[in-house]
Amino acid sequence: MESLSVTEPVLLILLSLADHPRHGYAILQDVQDMSDGRVVLSTGTLYGALRRLLDGAWIERVEEEDTPRGRQSYRLTARGRRNLQLEISRLKHLTRVATLRVARKEM
Amino acid sequence: MFSLYRILLYLYPPACRSEFGEEMLAVFRAAQTEAWKKDTFMHTRFCAREITGLVAGALSEHVRTIAVFDRPPLIFSRRFNMRSEFRFPKITVTLMTIILAGVVLAIEKATAIEASVPDSYQHVGPIQPAHFTFLPTMLVIMGGACLAGAIGWAILFALHRSGLHRLAEFDPASHQGSGGRTHA
Repeated sequence: MESLSVTEPVLLILLSLADHPRHGYAILQDVQDMSDGRVVLSTGTLYGALRRLLDGAWIERVEEEDTPRGRQSYRLTARGRRNLQLEISRLKHLTRVATLRVARKEM
Repeated sequence: MFSLYRILLYLYPPACRSEFGEEMLAVFRAAQTEAWKKDTFMHTRFCAREITGLVAGALSEHVRTIAVFDRPPLIFSRRFNMRSEFRFPKITVTLMTIILAGVVLAIEKATAIEASVPDSYQHVGPIQPAHFTFLPTMLVIMGGACLAGAIGWAILFALHRSGLHRLAEFDPASHQGSGGRTHA
């Protein structure tokens, strides 16, 4: 199991799967919507990230009968949700520190 | 574009392609249909992004296949494990042979060119051509490679016979508790 670096695309993919399972194309669109069109993933980038997340057991495939391969859905595992919460806490802390630093500089 | 994408998928390692190839094609088709609805510039950007993403992704997968990320470095692991999880892809032998043949042919060609150019710089004098021919050179190189491989295999075989690989299962704590002498 490899350690995962949570880059912005990976974070957005995890956030996309946070509320409910999504298939590949829905993830692409959701990532684009969440980032206001700033992050547009290619299929190569998306499936590279999904493969790493699957290997790290951060996400899993949703087993559904009669689902074509193109509509294969993914969802967060408990491990993935925990790691996402840790990452959000880290970002919150960073934002708080950054806000304080910038405010102090402006005074 | 779809046919090109399908061909470019062959850049991925076979295992990855069989796992995600069909799914990637389906997602690409859906994304392409959406991109066609926009203007030509957006569609061109989409094509460029997809091709670069695919090539970069394939490269990344190959690097991941070669490098073993999930094993801690030996220096930190405190365990010696003889089992190697790395395997060269089957195509490596073919590619290496082609590269080797290319190098030898280039040397032969350079030698021929050197022999055909008249000796214009008198101070140095004529450069004596190396009397290599293609087949003997190939045989010597292949022989050397086989010898190096045989030596490597012999070393690994000797290490395996010595039982060194069993150290991976050795647990000092249980050994000490079960009957090993303890020092006060």
